[in-house]
Amino acid sequence: MKKKKMLISQQTMDVDMVRKVEKLSGTSVRRCFQCGKCSAGCPMATFMEHPPNRIVRLLQLGQWQRILAGRSIWYCVSCETCTTRCPNQVDLASIMDALRKLSWDQDGPSKESYVQLANKLFLQNIRTYGRQYEMRLAAVFNVKSGQFLKDMMLGPKLLSKGKLKVFHQKNRNIAEVEKIFSRIEEMRRKGEAL
Amino acid sequence: MSRIGVFICHCGENISRTVDVELVASTASQFPGVAFATDYKYMCSDPGQSLIKKAVSEHRLTHVVVAACSPRMHERTFRKAVEQVGLNPFLCEMANIREHCSWVHEDREEATQKAIEIVGMLVERVKKNRVLPTITVPVTKRALVIGGGIAGIQAALDIADAGHQVVLVEREPSIGGHMAQLSETFPTLDCSQCIMTPKMVDLANHPNIIMHTYSEIEQVDGYIGNFQVTIRKKARSVDENKCTGCGICMTKCPQKKIPNIFDRNLGTRTAIYVPFPQAVPNVPVIDRENCTMFKTGKCGVCQKVCGPGAIDFNQQDTLIVEPVGAIVVATGFELYDITEKPKGSPIKGYGEFGHGKIPDVIDGLTFERLASASGPTGGKILRPSDGKEPKQVVFIQCVGSRSREKGISYCSKICCMYTAKHTMLYHHKVHDGQAYVFFMDARVPGKSYDEFWRRAIEEEEAVYIRGMVSRLYQKGDKIVVMGSDISVGVQVEIEADLVVLATAVQPRKGADALAQKLGISYDKYHFYSEAHAKLKPVECATAGIYLAGACQGPKDIPDTVSQASAAAAKVMTLFSKDKLEREPIVARVKENNCVGCFACRKVCAYGAVEEKEIRDRQGNLIKMVAYVNPGVCAGCGTCQATCPSKSVELDGYTDEQIVAMIEAL
Repeated sequence: MKKKKMLISQQTMDVDMVRKVEKLSGTSVRRCFQCGKCSAGCPMATFMEHPPNRIVRLLQLGQWQRILAGRSIWYCVSCETCTTRCPNQVDLASIMDALRKLSWDQDGPSKESYVQLANKLFLQNIRTYGRQYEMRLAAVFNVKSGQFLKDMMLGPKLLSKGKLKVFHQKNRNIAEVEKIFSRIEEMRRKGEAL
Repeated sequence: MSRIGVFICHCGENISRTVDVELVASTASQFPGVAFATDYKYMCSDPGQSLIKKAVSEHRLTHVVVAACSPRMHERTFRKAVEQVGLNPFLCEMANIREHCSWVHEDREEATQKAIEIVGMLVERVKKNRVLPTITVPVTKRALVIGGGIAGIQAALDIADAGHQVVLVEREPSIGGHMAQLSETFPTLDCSQCIMTPKMVDLANHPNIIMHTYSEIEQVDGYIGNFQVTIRKKARSVDENKCTGCGICMTKCPQKKIPNIFDRNLGTRTAIYVPFPQAVPNVPVIDRENCTMFKTGKCGVCQKVCGPGAIDFNQQDTLIVEPVGAIVVATGFELYDITEKPKGSPIKGYGEFGHGKIPDVIDGLTFERLASASGPTGGKILRPSDGKEPKQVVFIQCVGSRSREKGISYCSKICCMYTAKHTMLYHHKVHDGQAYVFFMDARVPGKSYDEFWRRAIEEEEAVYIRGMVSRLYQKGDKIVVMGSDISVGVQVEIEADLVVLATAVQPRKGADALAQKLGISYDKYHFYSEAHAKLKPVECATAGIYLAGACQGPKDIPDTVSQASAAAAKVMTLFSKDKLEREPIVARVKENNCVGCFACRKVCAYGAVEEKEIRDRQGNLIKMVAYVNPGVCAGCGTCQATCPSKSVELDGYTDEQIVAMIEAL
């Protein structure tokens, strides 16, 4: 997808999606003039097939599908270095947030990404137990991703150091946690949150 | 016995880096005739000049040699300084040890040796310099402005407002130039016609301005303060004094299908025409190539319908001679043509952009006519091939410009801004359309320029793609644009309805011929050269001739107007004196020797050599000799080199002096 020739026209430029990103992130995509400062300072850029500046460039060209096809947005660690340093006040970290949210909703190719699966399982655990239950997270992730033996050798070491618990520990105020989750869901329905 | 002072300049580090200036000074002090020698960091600075002045008085110096930069740079400075302490300025000479020595050599020892020899030569030469009186010549306080575009108009108005007479010569039938063709102007988007036409009318009505339209410069004689300019007023076939500008001739003319050059061939005009409705003067011209009367001898409809009887088919070109004191050259530019050029031309056409054969590939000026309210489409953006409104428009910048391959290595300067403006105009007129711009760099320095360019992208939603287009081709009624977006790193393809090329700004064809008539220099692109890129940006190296506008290099309207006013100010400075002082470095004829062969007259580029009769006391003619008019002579020395009897000598560069310099080596 990355190297495929780009056909540009009003039909291939997904302007609606760009507007959505702009609305969700509260920042302008068009402001960027491709100086590259975001990519220069990004700690994760070396892992991305589209570095941050190119993500914005693809948005400017309405090439939403190209972003969706890649995993770059999932590598972003939201450190906000890009946002802090951008000369044009483009809030790139928020754009990344918005893109992840839209990608999630789209059920797009990035669904295959284990990053998204890990994110989902992580949040499910928090919702169920009020805190993280690492054993379950690792187990379910390995089963769902089909990599049954992934990182298995780390298990004994973590167990011996007490970093991994065999049984879950439930939070006492689990009802409060549930409240937070339902409120966010409510806000999402109304379009007030990502 | 001469007492020569030698002053060695360090020029900061420019000279002292490679030349041992102290050694040069101490060696020079031993030269015969040298009474004093020293060195200083900046000889041209105030303390440096004071040093020279003090030395002249203290050591009773008779001659001065300043070893520093080129005489073009500071000869005047030092001559003025010695004049202030009572020395004749022409007894001060400069030894060029910067451009001729320190800048071009690396070896310190050799460079120092060379500097010593250069100084030695100048010491020998200055010994034989004569005390020369300054030559004064009268100044004709009238100016000639060549070109009636915004540059010429501004310069003419400024000079005329100062109370001097101005003769303006324009090649086309109307003044106005390129600016009259534009729709709106950056960065404020005010209508070009609205700010241009009042100035045109001002010019035509100004009591101090004589306007010659449809005229060209035939010949230029004379020199600063005293030019004689011959102007060819081309036959208009319409009497300017009788014509009322009613326009009935144009409505009745049967030849209606002639492409209108003013509208970039988009519209048509008649054989008798004014270039555009707001033309000044509003007097038509008969295009003799297309007029039926001139082609077949039968027609004459315009003559029949003309009430005042202004049509005159027998009108001939007339030559007018105008005496002027200063000339402002403002001949403007033209756009690079992408159609294939004939073989042998260094500039090749753009095969990859269709050589101009795809009708919907147009240039920026054509787009201006499309967007202009007074244009052939009345301001609607309609593509030339089928008159449909284009929904996808691709703009390509740097077409020709910054291309070594096309022989145009320079940046045309205005294209980034006018393309941004075009995208805005397009967005304002076609709301559901999309503009794309392929660009290599955005060069938008200037007041409010960057903001303007960003506005095109951020608010007017133009899509800018960094990368050049490799090829255009027609596919059905679309034009496929193949380019690349180098910030994403992929190839890009757009099916466009209209493609607008920002073609390079070039000097007018014939700019070189005019320069030769005027005796001014031009660069390899045929842009006219200023005397100094930074400190004399409006003066030509030829005295009395000034530059304004794009004939000197690509310029936008604000820069052009600034330069035109600057040129006008220079002309006014010249006119502020009744007499002009000239450098007396001129040729003299030794009348005893001269045999009157007049070989010197044949080679003189300035027409300075005249005939003079030598008579005895009874009034009998003995012989004819050459006489050099000191007011005209430019001091080039060609006559001296040519004279077979060695009868002509250039002051300061006599044979005796040259031989003395060689012997000093």
